[in-house]
Amino acid sequence: MLALGSIAPRIAGERLSGPALVCFFKVDCPSCHLALRCLDTAARRLGEGAEIIGISQDDPDATAELAQSLAIRIPTHSDVDLRGSVAYGLEAVPAIFVLDAQGRVAARSQGFDRADLERLSRHLAHLAGARDPGPLGAPGIPDFQPGCVSRHLEPEGEGAIAAPLDLYSRQAGRASRIPVQQGADLHEWCYEQGFADPLPVVPPTAERVDAMISGSGRPADEILAHVPPNYAPASVEKLAANAVMAGCRPEYMRVLVPALRALCDERLDIHGVQGTTHFAAPLAIINGPVRLEMGFACGSNVFSNAARANSTIGRALQLVLRNIGGAAPGRIDMSTLGNPGRFSYVIGENEEASPWDPLAADFGIAPGRNAVTFFCAEPPRAVSEHKARKGAVLLRAVCAALANVWSYRTCGRSEALVVIGPEHAATLGRDGFTKAEVRGFLHENTGIPVAEYDGDGGEGTHEAGSYEECMIRGVRCYRKFRGPEAIRVMVAGGPAGKFSAVLGSWATGPRGSQMVSYGFD
Amino acid sequence: MPVTLVNPLDERPAPQASSPERLASLEGAKIALLDISKPGGSVFLDRLGGLLRQHYGVAEILRFRKPTFAKPAPEAVLADIRRSVPHAVVEALAD
Repeated sequence: MLALGSIAPRIAGERLSGPALVCFFKVDCPSCHLALRCLDTAARRLGEGAEIIGISQDDPDATAELAQSLAIRIPTHSDVDLRGSVAYGLEAVPAIFVLDAQGRVAARSQGFDRADLERLSRHLAHLAGARDPGPLGAPGIPDFQPGCVSRHLEPEGEGAIAAPLDLYSRQAGRASRIPVQQGADLHEWCYEQGFADPLPVVPPTAERVDAMISGSGRPADEILAHVPPNYAPASVEKLAANAVMAGCRPEYMRVLVPALRALCDERLDIHGVQGTTHFAAPLAIINGPVRLEMGFACGSNVFSNAARANSTIGRALQLVLRNIGGAAPGRIDMSTLGNPGRFSYVIGENEEASPWDPLAADFGIAPGRNAVTFFCAEPPRAVSEHKARKGAVLLRAVCAALANVWSYRTCGRSEALVVIGPEHAATLGRDGFTKAEVRGFLHENTGIPVAEYDGDGGEGTHEAGSYEECMIRGVRCYRKFRGPEAIRVMVAGGPAGKFSAVLGSWATGPRGSQMVSYGFD
Repeated sequence: MPVTLVNPLDERPAPQASSPERLASLEGAKIALLDISKPGGSVFLDRLGGLLRQHYGVAEILRFRKPTFAKPAPEAVLADIRRSVPHAVVEALAD
């Protein structure tokens, strides 16, 4: 609601002169009827000089019909385009404002509260130099009744006209408010509304969403991205509502805002990823001091359910993709086997255990700066190598996993992210491997034996004529990757255990998904 | 007091679309075939085009191709299809 002391905005182009009391209402709101009846009584007692005006959110005919049925005589203005309702910051009706002689808000109230109405009427009388109109009760009028959601915050009904797709606006309409009866099981209610993945959500109450919006330091109606495949606008408020449901803390908005923008970056092609039958899901990798400040898991169980920041931020992004982008499983998202990362897929890089620059540095972001990087990835495949004393020997175990990404006999099409565990990273660091040398080694030593293309067909075999042939340890092979740049390397995981992980890509390059990295403060 | 929740969904009204009328006959028709460039899609469309001509009297088969199955058809491809004014378009969705 408009703050006390604010200059009251115009209604239908007209500035209201004070002292006056204005009451926003809608014709189908029973609490508004109570307020109008009381205010009509007050207006009759106050007489001229202390104006009481109704502002209807409905058309003049419906408003006139209501006035007749309630037998009220206060003048009414129409705010049928709801611009006034937006300008006055209404959430519920009836919404009542007392304006002083300068047109400033001197008092206000929302919902029906008879004592509050008497207080506001007294305030108006005082400003106008009139007599207190006194108690406003009458038979059948309760002391209190909650209001109804303001017309401009109601969900669109069936039969509403779809607006043309608009990818360029930066400001969204506000999210609708949905009153749920006290005592309802909110978890079950949210599930029934299709608000969620199948896990319980934190109900997105107005108070929690407001706190989440505050955590972003941005206006609620700012559009952050248009979310494919439906290209629906994701405002700060919509992101906040989904972040609340996912279990995020308000300060996580610092990561969620750049993460959502990166996720909807056209180069990542989340449009295609959301509609594929493949395993791919967007994996977010976090770099920079924010990992430690917010408690992101970078060590043990980095791909698991170890830290609130990873689990809830990843879940919030998945909820946005589903609730705003429109790709729900079984509708647009028809992945054959899916990916557990569709619940949440966020890891922090263990920069402290890495002998190299962080992953985001590959994309030009200075080491030490916060960044979120996306890679549309298969689930992780495990590399176990506990006996290798030399870096080159353990990297050959990584090569064996790399040979299988996307499709065994398809070469030159896919990319991969290699997540080196800290013990493996220590071995490579001790042997003096730079990151570029690791990538070069993996490229040079990953291939599919030509003997596998024996004329029986199969995926990738019909394109074998275009593959690059090479010799790997005396065996004629086709190179798996187009170059070292197709293999990204980072460090994550706990201090014990000689494990690493290989994650294959979805379709890559300008005709598929390209990795994106966004820096932030 | 009811609890007030903030709607977390896309609230835009869904665009209404209805299916075009089916052609009464394929005899003499001009049919556009859109290959989304999935592997094997062109083989399928070659065969489909042949069958439409041989058995259904289709007069003309026009072929179009998306540069990648991974992204929506570029406006230029859609404009090319519209300019050719086919009686119907068949989109080969997958391999």
